[in-house]
Order: sequence, then structure tokens, then C-alpha cells
Amino acid sequence: MNTLFPYPTLVGEIEVRVKQVRIDGKPLSLSVVSRPQRAVALHQVERPNWEDGSIDLEVTLPELELADGPWSEVACVAILTEGSTNTRVVRRLQRDRLSSTWSGSVPVLRAMHRDRATLNVSAVATVGGVAGRTIGTADEAWIIDLLARTPVRQREIEIAEADFRDGPQEWLRPFKDAPWLVETAGEMPTILLNSSFEGITQLLKGSGNPLEKAASGLVAAQIAGEAWTAMFHSAVADLELDDDGAPLIPSGWRESVLRTMLPDVLPGLALADALIEVHNRHAAGYGWAELQSQIHFAASRRAQVPKNLTTAVRAITRSQEGATR
Amino acid sequence: MQDGQEFGPWLGRQLRRQNMSQAELAERLGLTRAAVSAWITGRAQPRAEMVRDIASVLGTDIATVHNRTTDAVTARPVRWYHRPAHADGGREFGNAAAFAFDADLAVLAREATQNSLDERLDTTQPVRVRFTLHELSGEHLSSFLSALKWEQLEAHYEAASESRQKVGRVLAEGLREMQETNSLLLLRVDDYNASGLTGPEYEDGRFAAVVRRQLDSHKSSDRAGGSYGLGKATLWATSRLGLVLINSTLSESHEGRTTRRLVGRLDLPWREVNGSPYAGPAWLGEADTEKDFEGVSRSWWADEKTASELWLERESAAPGTSFLIVGAHDAAGDADSLQEMHDKLSAALADNFWAAMTAGSSANAMLEASVCTMRNGSLVIPERRVDPRERHSALVRALRAYLDHETVPELTASEEVAYARVPLVVPPLRNTGRQAKGVEHQAVLLVTSADDEDQQHSRLVCMRGSRMTVMTRRPRDLGIGVDPFQAVLLAGYATGEGTEDVHAAEAFLRASEPPEHDRWGTTDELTATYPGASRRLTEFRAAMDSALREIVGRRPTRDVRGPEVLRTLLRLDIPASGGGRRADGHPVVRSVEGEVDAAGAWSLRVFLKIPPREDPWLLTPVAKFDVRSGGRPTLSWSELTAVENCRIVDGVVVIDPEVRSAAFGGVTAVGSHPVSATMAGVTVDIQKARGASA
Repeated sequence: MNTLFPYPTLVGEIEVRVKQVRIDGKPLSLSVVSRPQRAVALHQVERPNWEDGSIDLEVTLPELELADGPWSEVACVAILTEGSTNTRVVRRLQRDRLSSTWSGSVPVLRAMHRDRATLNVSAVATVGGVAGRTIGTADEAWIIDLLARTPVRQREIEIAEADFRDGPQEWLRPFKDAPWLVETAGEMPTILLNSSFEGITQLLKGSGNPLEKAASGLVAAQIAGEAWTAMFHSAVADLELDDDGAPLIPSGWRESVLRTMLPDVLPGLALADALIEVHNRHAAGYGWAELQSQIHFAASRRAQVPKNLTTAVRAITRSQEGATR
Repeated sequence: MQDGQEFGPWLGRQLRRQNMSQAELAERLGLTRAAVSAWITGRAQPRAEMVRDIASVLGTDIATVHNRTTDAVTARPVRWYHRPAHADGGREFGNAAAFAFDADLAVLAREATQNSLDERLDTTQPVRVRFTLHELSGEHLSSFLSALKWEQLEAHYEAASESRQKVGRVLAEGLREMQETNSLLLLRVDDYNASGLTGPEYEDGRFAAVVRRQLDSHKSSDRAGGSYGLGKATLWATSRLGLVLINSTLSESHEGRTTRRLVGRLDLPWREVNGSPYAGPAWLGEADTEKDFEGVSRSWWADEKTASELWLERESAAPGTSFLIVGAHDAAGDADSLQEMHDKLSAALADNFWAAMTAGSSANAMLEASVCTMRNGSLVIPERRVDPRERHSALVRALRAYLDHETVPELTASEEVAYARVPLVVPPLRNTGRQAKGVEHQAVLLVTSADDEDQQHSRLVCMRGSRMTVMTRRPRDLGIGVDPFQAVLLAGYATGEGTEDVHAAEAFLRASEPPEHDRWGTTDELTATYPGASRRLTEFRAAMDSALREIVGRRPTRDVRGPEVLRTLLRLDIPASGGGRRADGHPVVRSVEGEVDAAGAWSLRVFLKIPPREDPWLLTPVAKFDVRSGGRPTLSWSELTAVENCRIVDGVVVIDPEVRSAAFGGVTAVGSHPVSATMAGVTVDIQKARGASA
């Protein structure tokens, strides 16, 4: 969605490069930075309790356009934000006259962040007598991940093993008979596999004969189907609204879930329209029950239930043939 | 007299040139033959009055005899000598060596420059190589051709081009183009601070290797790049006319002289002219007077005038060689205009020799290269040094950091250069017996982040010798998600070191290269010389990959990500399976234009992209102020107007069936603005109209 501003803005691109990353003054290996993914991973096994990080940036603005344009007092700022902690750190960058790039350092204080911050760069200038107007922003922000060890943008759904019966997590006790649990309340959805449920982890690692593989695929499809259903419900329940009551497309995993599932839940509607429809049915309650079979269909499609079931049926048929021969 | 030749050899040559025997001279001077012989062998010098007599016998002035910088009779005719056909009737319709490479300008730039690098004279200074494209036409062309003695060649060209063999067709095309356009392209390759074509006319030496022989790799040191002697054939292959003229300033005197040793060589297929058959080559030079080579054209010591007429005059006295390729062309066919050829040469020089052109703060570069373009003697594109940083800045940064000892063990900033050692075990030579042990060479690996503009990256550039690129390989098993990098591997002499293992590694790797010198693999020579060579090369490659992985690879994450079978079903980044979704099944806003009008309302023009369908689309446009967080205020419309392919019905945009694009205009109602329009950005969405049948 492009926003139109009542003053001239930059057409040219703003390029942001991360030059160096330090925690507690010690430079980190560049392998924590991924330029294609625009991500920085700050978690260090060797130094889990760091306090004070910094990220050195170099920014290229469309200098020719700036020179000819109606902007004055151009400044370039780096903005580090994290939604969950409502942190917002702004740092001015300095222009290097020789290379005509802007550079500077943004502090990352461990105490101010939870897990994932976003780093973006804006050009700010005086336009038409009004100072401090944003005239351009980098197309894609960098992700500063404080908990990851590898710089990847797209996060994966977490899958963890836990002992539901005798483990340290009290709240899992009531579920001691369940082989798995899907949790969608946290920052990332988590699938907990009950390690006290005998055989579940071995089954999922299933390799070897086709029957074992088929069983493993079938169980995985079932877990995944439940996970997708739960994630969809959770995403729809959490929508933020605009002033006119229209739901906003969420960010993070919720966006991915809605984008991939809505076309199957409400076929033929544009994403925004489908979101309004789903939100209305969920909030008002009418037609929500009718939607369940659609959600179920979309989830089992994501979980590849049909394919896994076919594989299982074939494997069983074949094993029986083998037995009779 | 400093340029002058020793009296003895000079006199001997004058006698040969005049077909005069020592006895004859002795008789005319009234001396014994022994006295003359003593002069020629350098055992004695003639007295001053005798010098005058010698001058008169030779038919020249005293100064010539004193200075001995020129021959007494300079006017021995320079002419073309065509090699007669083989007595056994064999016919060669081309020079096989010339087909070993494409006659591509890039290949020529690589081979010719590599040869110059191999012949670098003062190894503390760079060898300077210059490529000059020179187009001649009209008057300039005819005076060049007459200096070239074209009239002695014409008949041979005609005969040769009638041949239906490949070489004949190329010749015919070259001749036709010269006649039709009345222009000829010369490509001159000069090097300075190089050895020059030293050595005797026919015996072993640099001169004979280039001018007289094929596949003679006369390399002056074991640091040389090539080993097949094929590179020089590219000079002739680049000439459509098979013709190359040479002017060399020698680093060691020959016949007591060093300056302006000129010779021309023409490679033609077998041909019959005026009833006599001729084998391939012909030479431009003075007719030899030595008995064994009587009549053969040999290199001559030319005067300045001749050299300039042939566009062969060199700019300074520094030793080196100028090759003039007559009728140059780019057989690859992707460079036709002078500008394109100029650019292609510059690019090829930068791509192949960025390393040799890289200097450290205390170490000189090995090579300086430049390209310039002329037309009829005046500059068209001025001479410009090839700057390796323009095309390969990250690689140059890596090498420079190594030369300046500024490398680091681990990359922490994007400008840094990481350094590691890669072992290569060089097996002992086969003939050294069973007890001999191999040596371990430590090649140098340099790694730095790729620059944003680098088109080729994440490859390992392998070099040896005078830092020539042998191959560029894609490393294996680096793991996923590695950022773009540039890496250089310096092996053998390229490391800049001189220990024993370096010599061994250099010889080993050179033996592993095919004639193209483009990979390290198993060759006949390698397996014949070294036992177990192929395994060592495999280990070497694996060691490169592992050293590289250490530097650029991501650290492994703890494997807490759960079973693979489940993870693949839960990936968030791939579209639904089997959902071959039709692209944009719904109308979308392609762009919005607009401005705040005098009344303070947004006046907008909205352009839509519509997927065609049989029913009309009913759309509600929604304008909102864009805010950083929280709900966005919705604006109401005071006016909606149809602009293209649509109607406005009760605030709904109705788009007719089968339409692909539409546009409408809208003005917001100022009363619905929570803030002044000049203080906020605006966005426009389209929604399906409520209650309308979609």
C-alpha cells in the first residue's frame, strides 16, 4: 500500500548496510549478519548475559535527487523499534563528505528489548517551511534478533519436547495424557511434544521401513492440522482495528497464517475483504459456525493430510500384500 | 659510442653483409688475414688510420665505423621471404596452435599480457603493457601498406584466400573488408620493462621462440604462467590477415645492439604463387647473408623512419616488445565498433589481471596496463590506466590487505579481510625414489564481504605464479544462508613467499593445468610426474572449502527445531500446496496521485488494475490518513468522479465487465479530516461494496 504525502518525497532508494556489530564492546563475527535477509542475530552462546550492544550502519541516500530537490536541512536517522516493549531509539547518522554515505551507530540495550527489534532508516528534511518531515524510508527494515543465533528473517514455528508428567513446567501436568499440545498465545506458536508419552518422539523421527514412515507422516499431518487451525483462530481473535472498525493485516506469523489460509477459507475474496468478512463473523458471531468446515479444510490442506493419508494407505496395502505372499 | 657494438662482431657482420671474406678485406687493406681475424675475434683493435681505410673499403664514413650504431650499408633491401613448400609435398592449411584459443580480444589480452608478465625484467617495478587500437584509412592506409611492402604479399594473399579451408575463408573476409571499407584496424601491444626478444635469429632464445617456432615455451623462469607456448599464437589468430609486425628493444644486446629489432611474420596456409608452391609462414626482414640461411628474411636493426612508417616506433628506450597485429578483429563478434573493442580490452585486462595490478603500500604492482584508441594517427579515446578497483573492488581490497599485512583471523566488519592457510601436500617426483617425502605447501586464503555491486560473488578465485587467475570455483558445503563474499586463494609464487615448498607447489600446480590454464585437474604430465597427484588435488579442494567455511559459514544452531517431518508441514514462508493461485484475482490499486487543493482537501486520482471477468465489479474506495501506530482515521468523500472505464453510482465505483484497467478521481471531505491534510499522508484502498454481489 503506498502512502501519498502532501509534500514531495524521495523516489530513489535508501540503502542500508550493517557494517559491524558489537556486544559489550567486542566485535562479533560477520556471520551474525545476513545482508540478503537483512537480519542480525545477537544471541551469543559464549556470552548470554551481554548488556550493551551496538550496530554500525552505512546508508546511501539518493544524493543526486536530494541535491536537485526542494528539501533542505536533510538528516538521516536510524530508528530501532520493538513493538512488544514499545521501545523506540532514534540516532542521527553523520554524512561522510568523501564517500557521500551516512554512517553511525545504533545502541541495542539488552534491558530495553524482549526478543526482536526492527531497525529502519529514514531521511528527514524541511519541506515547504515545515521541519522534520520524513521524506523517505528504506524499503525493508532490518531485523535485530536478540534470541537467534543465525540471522534469518522468517521465523519458524517452534517445536519443543517437554515432559508433561514430571517436567518442571507445572502447567503441563493436567495435559499429561496428551501426546502433544499447540500453544499460540506466545510471540511464536509453539508445539510441545510430550516426552512422557511413550514413543511419540521416536515415531516422529520415524525412518526405516515404509510403514514407520507412513505412520510418522500421518501423525505429523495431524499435529500440523491442529496447529494451523489453532493459529488461524488465534490470529483472527487478535486483530487490531482501524478507526472505521476495519481490521488491519497483522504482522509476523499471524500475517503469514492469514495470507496462506484465507484464500482457502473464503475463496474468491481479496485479502482485505476476506479479513473484514472473517472478522465480522467472528466478532458478531453469525456465520462463524459455518466457517469452521472451511477453516478445517484450509488447515488440513496446509498440513498435507490427503497426501500423507494416501501414503499411509498404500504402505499398509503393500505390507499386507507382502504378508500374504 | 655507448650504443655502439663491439668492433669485432660489427666488422664481421659488415663483411657478411657485403659478401666479402676476411682474406679479401686483408688484401685490400694490405694486411694479413690473421690481422683481420684478430679484429673480428676481438683480440686486437685497428689503429686510427686503419679505421679510415676500413671505412673506405666498406664504402662508408669514418663516424659509422667509430660509432658502429648502424650497419655500413643500411640499404640492404627489406623484403618478404616466403617459406617454400615442403619437399615431401605436405601441405598445412593453417596453424593448429592458433586454434587452441578463440580469436577473441579478451583471450588475446589475457595471453599477451601474461607473456609480458612472464618476461618482467626489473622485478621491483611493474611491467607496463599498453594496448592501442588504431584504425587506418585512406592516405594513412596506403602509406602503411607501402611501408609494409604489400605488393610482395598481394599475390600470396589472393592465392591463399582462394583456399576453401577455414583459414582461407577468414583471409578472404579480411581482404574483402579492407578493400570495401578502405580501412584497416591495427592493434598494437607494447610492453616496457620486459626482456624483449633477445637471442639469436634461429637458435634457442626468446626471439626464435616467438618468431621462428611453434609450441616453444621459452620461459625465462619457473615463475612463468604458461608452459605450452600456445599463448603467442593468439597474436596471429587475432589478425584476420595472419600478419604481425614486431619491434623489440632488447634487455641484452644481440649483435652488439639493443634498439629497434624489427621483424614481421605472416602465417598463411599452403599456396601456389606463379607456379611455385609455398608452405605456411613468411617473414619480413633483410635477406640473410649467412650461408645456411641464404635468402631467408631475418630481423633487422631498423632506423627511426622505418619504424614510424610501420607504426612500430616505441615511446621510450625501456626494453620490451611491440607487437602490431595487422587487421585485428574480435572473432567472438561481440565487439565491432572501436569503442566496444576498447571497452572489451579494458574489461578483459581488469578481469584477468586485477591481482597483478594491485599494489600494496610498500609493494609495487606487477603490472600496469592501459588501453587507448587512435584513428589515422590521432587519439580518439585517450590512454587510460586500467584500474582494477573499478570492476573488482572487493577482491582488490582482499589482496591489498594481504600485501599490507592488515588481515584479520575472523571477519567482524564488512571492510575487513580474513586470512587463513590452506595446506597442499605436494607429492615427491616419481623419479626421486620410494623414500622421498612430499612437502606441504601452505596456500593463502583471503576472504572479504562482497560489494553490493559485485555481479559475481561467493566464488573462490584460485591463482598462482604472477597472480594469474587459474580458475574460479564455487565452493561446496558452505552451509545455507551464507552472505555474499569474495575469496582469493594464492598458491605457489602468488603467495609472494620464496620457500622451497612454494617452488614445489608452483611446479605441481602448473603441471596440473591444461593448455587453457583454467583448472587444476589431472593431466598427462601430472600423473606422469607425481604419484597420487589426483588425490592430493582432491584434498586441496576440500581444504579450501573447509577453510572458507570456517570464515564465512554460519555457526551451527542447536538442533531444537523438532522432527523434520513435522517442520516441513509448518513452514510459514511457502504458499499453500496445490494452490496454483490465479495472479491477482481481485482489483488492486496500482497507483495513486494527488495533491492537497486550495480548500485543504485531498484531490486524488486512483488507478486500478482489474482482472477481467463477465460481471461488473462494485467497489467502495476508502481513504485513510496514514499514522505510525493505532487506528487510522477514515476520511469521507465529498466528491467521486469517474475518469476511465467506470461509473460512480451512490458512492460505489462500478466497473464494467471485461475491463482491465480503470481510474477514478476523488476529493475528500475537509470536515472529516481530524488534522489538516497538509500534515498527514493518505492511503487509498478499495473494498468490495457492501451488500453488492461480488
